[in-house]
Amino acid sequence: MRKSAEVVIIGGGVIGTAIAYNLARQGCTDIVVLEKEYLASGSTGRCGAGVRQQWGTEMNLRMSIASVKMFETMNEDLDYDGDIEFKQGGYLLLAYTEAGWRQFNENVALQKSFGLDVRLCTPAEARQIVPHLNTEGLIGATFNQTDGHCNPFHVTDAYAKAAKRLGVEICTYTEVTGIRRDKNRVVGVETNKGFIATEKVVNAAGGYSSVIAEMAGITIPTYPERHQILVTEPVAPLQNPMVMSFHHHIYCQQTPHGSFIMGLGDPTEQPGFNTRATWQFLEEMSQKITWLLPPLKGIRVVRQWAGLYNMTPDRTPILGSVPELLGYQMAVGFSGHGFMLAPMTGLLLSQSILGLPTSLPIEKMDLGRFERGELFNEPSVV
Amino acid sequence: MLRISEHPILTFKHGQQVAFRYDGQELVGYEGETIAAALHAAGVKVLRKSTVLHRPRGFFCAIGTCSSCLMKVNGEPNVRVCVEKLKAGMVIETQQGKGDLREDV
Repeated sequence: MRKSAEVVIIGGGVIGTAIAYNLARQGCTDIVVLEKEYLASGSTGRCGAGVRQQWGTEMNLRMSIASVKMFETMNEDLDYDGDIEFKQGGYLLLAYTEAGWRQFNENVALQKSFGLDVRLCTPAEARQIVPHLNTEGLIGATFNQTDGHCNPFHVTDAYAKAAKRLGVEICTYTEVTGIRRDKNRVVGVETNKGFIATEKVVNAAGGYSSVIAEMAGITIPTYPERHQILVTEPVAPLQNPMVMSFHHHIYCQQTPHGSFIMGLGDPTEQPGFNTRATWQFLEEMSQKITWLLPPLKGIRVVRQWAGLYNMTPDRTPILGSVPELLGYQMAVGFSGHGFMLAPMTGLLLSQSILGLPTSLPIEKMDLGRFERGELFNEPSVV
Repeated sequence: MLRISEHPILTFKHGQQVAFRYDGQELVGYEGETIAAALHAAGVKVLRKSTVLHRPRGFFCAIGTCSSCLMKVNGEPNVRVCVEKLKAGMVIETQQGKGDLREDV
């Protein structure tokens, strides 16, 4: 591990590695990425692997649309020796209440204004898209074909390998224990393997973002929240789109490998670092999904796990710098959709760190918005 | 002929002889033994092909863990025949590729 670096990035997930790559590509190669365990060991590798553009607020929409464009050519752009497994089978979002349906209508109008080719569907039309869908109680749905699936392990690997080729140092099993500051400037990062002098530090610590911010003396309103997922045995292709119901707090998609990945948000989950999996999740998930997608009743579950959403009060990430500490930047609080926003986040943060004009108005997503009261309040989160 | 009928220490009890179908052939086995045991006794050693390289897969872990023996049983895909018991009249089929959950295939 080097003794000093131009930029130290805390977090070896998809966000940290994407930022490292984008910085290096623009000539800033004296970078160290610090990861407490192994790459993608936190929220990235535990996520549902979905890529969605059907958001209800401006910045999530603009960031996700730009990110999908980047996923489409990522294998070539990063000269990856594997395959990121990007499959654009679409997302079918289901509405079960009048309020939910009104929200979907508003969302679609906003999405179309940003150029997304999304459409409103009747239950019958939804069934044409997913023939085995149980439409009982369904009011309507929205569908966008260019949403889909991507493999978070491969994407992180692709960014990490491309960054390394450009000279970035990635230190796994290296835990940050402190951030040293001199008045209002960052001067270095302390780790369990020694000190690195740096004037620029990036908080990309996922579920642990508030812990890292605290080390820098910054208070941010993010908090960790457990979400659980399971994966089934692989079967022949059955379902192209991700099927998602905010009313039931569930989502379910078949991966290119044939396994089904599905998750369930528990509205009663308390903030905390607990990542234990529970049998209650397995039972509730099985009940809900076999009702919604009946052919899945015979499929076998091979594994279940839990990971942390890094939540913000308006379910929208916090990006960029803060006025009170020079050299501190962050890409945190993705509220369960960091993976799908990672490509554009990597570009925006690199531009912000290098003092360049940003491709999107990143300042709208700053920490100060909570004081100013300029919240996004994203409605579409499971 | 692969069935051990005499053993110096162990004794074997088995159910009554029953007929079942395997890929269109009529075979016999003992009720209550595993499907894999009945197939093995009848000389069937290849239970499936691996899904990527299509190489033959046979009886392996024998405890329902390894997925080497997934077959279609009475229309149900991905049945682990090493732990599923044989019943009279069962229809056992070699599975082509990954199991298919659609009912009409």
